[in-house]
Amino acid sequence: MLKKFTYLTLTLAGVFLMTACGGSSNKKSSSDELTFNDSLANAAPLELSEEVMSDVIQNISSPVEMASLIKSTGVEFSQKILNSTNQIDNYNTSFKRALNLGVYSADLGYINTFDKNTIVIDYLVSIKSLAEGIKVGQFFDFNSLKRLATNSNNLDSLMQISISSFNKMDSYLRSQNRSNVSSLIVTGAWIEGLYIAGKVVEQTNNEGLIKRIAEQKDIINILEIILQNYNKQPSFSELAEQLAKLKASYKGVTITTEIGDPKTIEQDGKLVIVQDEISHVDITPEQVSAIIAEINALREFIVS
Amino acid sequence: MKKSLYSLLFLLTAFVFTSHAQCGDDLLKQALKEMGSSQYIKDFTVELIKEKKDVKTGYVKFSIFLNSNTQYKFNVANGASNIDKVVMQLKDKEATRVLASNLYNGKTFDEFSFVCRKAGVYNLSFSFKGGQEGCAKAVMSLVKQIQ
Repeated sequence: MLKKFTYLTLTLAGVFLMTACGGSSNKKSSSDELTFNDSLANAAPLELSEEVMSDVIQNISSPVEMASLIKSTGVEFSQKILNSTNQIDNYNTSFKRALNLGVYSADLGYINTFDKNTIVIDYLVSIKSLAEGIKVGQFFDFNSLKRLATNSNNLDSLMQISISSFNKMDSYLRSQNRSNVSSLIVTGAWIEGLYIAGKVVEQTNNEGLIKRIAEQKDIINILEIILQNYNKQPSFSELAEQLAKLKASYKGVTITTEIGDPKTIEQDGKLVIVQDEISHVDITPEQVSAIIAEINALREFIVS
Repeated sequence: MKKSLYSLLFLLTAFVFTSHAQCGDDLLKQALKEMGSSQYIKDFTVELIKEKKDVKTGYVKFSIFLNSNTQYKFNVANGASNIDKVVMQLKDKEATRVLASNLYNGKTFDEFSFVCRKAGVYNLSFSFKGGQEGCAKAVMSLVKQIQ
């Protein structure tokens, strides 16, 4: 009896230890056994490994930063710029769902940045629907998010939890060798951020935003590498073709770097370091218009 | 015999809870709290453990994209059992040049702010002085856009 009890306790303790020490990134959810029934299921062999892809995807700039920059220009919030949540039923393939999950996530970042909690719920519901459609709904605690969204005092927490949910989902997808899905979400979010910025530039001609759009030249090269990795799938190939047009519109944009004075300041126990390199962007108004036109076309391709 | 079994079980449970509290979600909560009023962008988990043949732990690095004219904050919360504080360094794309570090004038800070003036890919690396084992959670956040 005692022997049996010993084995039982040690087994239980062992299982408990292994589960507890696994860490969140290694946890496997029940969705592991689920596979796609459409174009994202049968990925062709990759030229770049999942590990390299994972590293590359992390380099796509956060749409929240773009939203924050837009807010800092003093421009007013505009809901009509955003992708309407009425579109959701049109996204019936995993390819479209993943891309537009990214689009809505950037919209949510923009909404949260401007504290427009009255429309947050609509976007959360759309995100929930798309996330479940590509089997990653488990990363969003929608009841908590909705609760936070209904109280304007909680908007910072809402922002933090929603970004964190997206980060966890992204890590999970990459750990499960589903970087193709992750890359689409990131592409959708990135292009939506640029699209909103482009709309604001058309309205304000803000120099800071123009510089930010111009500096995305590097990101296009990164995205091109990512999408080309999956270009044996026709939908990815088509997306890459659209991106190539956007890349072409950036051709004349030049970014130069000069070395300035580095500074390290210690103030009130805090350390502030000012970078020594300074970048300068050379872009003409015609180039800005051409880039924005291509951004609009690519965004239309994604949300239509 | 029964008594020692219970003790073993108690010790195992205590170990699990302590190690989770040291390096788990509570540590992230602490880092998020210390982030202050900045805008959260992403977090990083640092767990440096010696492999069998290793004398020292190495480093772990993460690739990030920073925008120009932007002030970022990188803050870190150390695991309770860390012998030393984790050293956090921001390096260039090739990870060869250190651009910013929380180790300054011999003192290890829990955070540093970095005013980025050139958009691009950078590397954030973490290591322990002397190559000890340890864990930490770091948070990257947006302080302000400089127009």
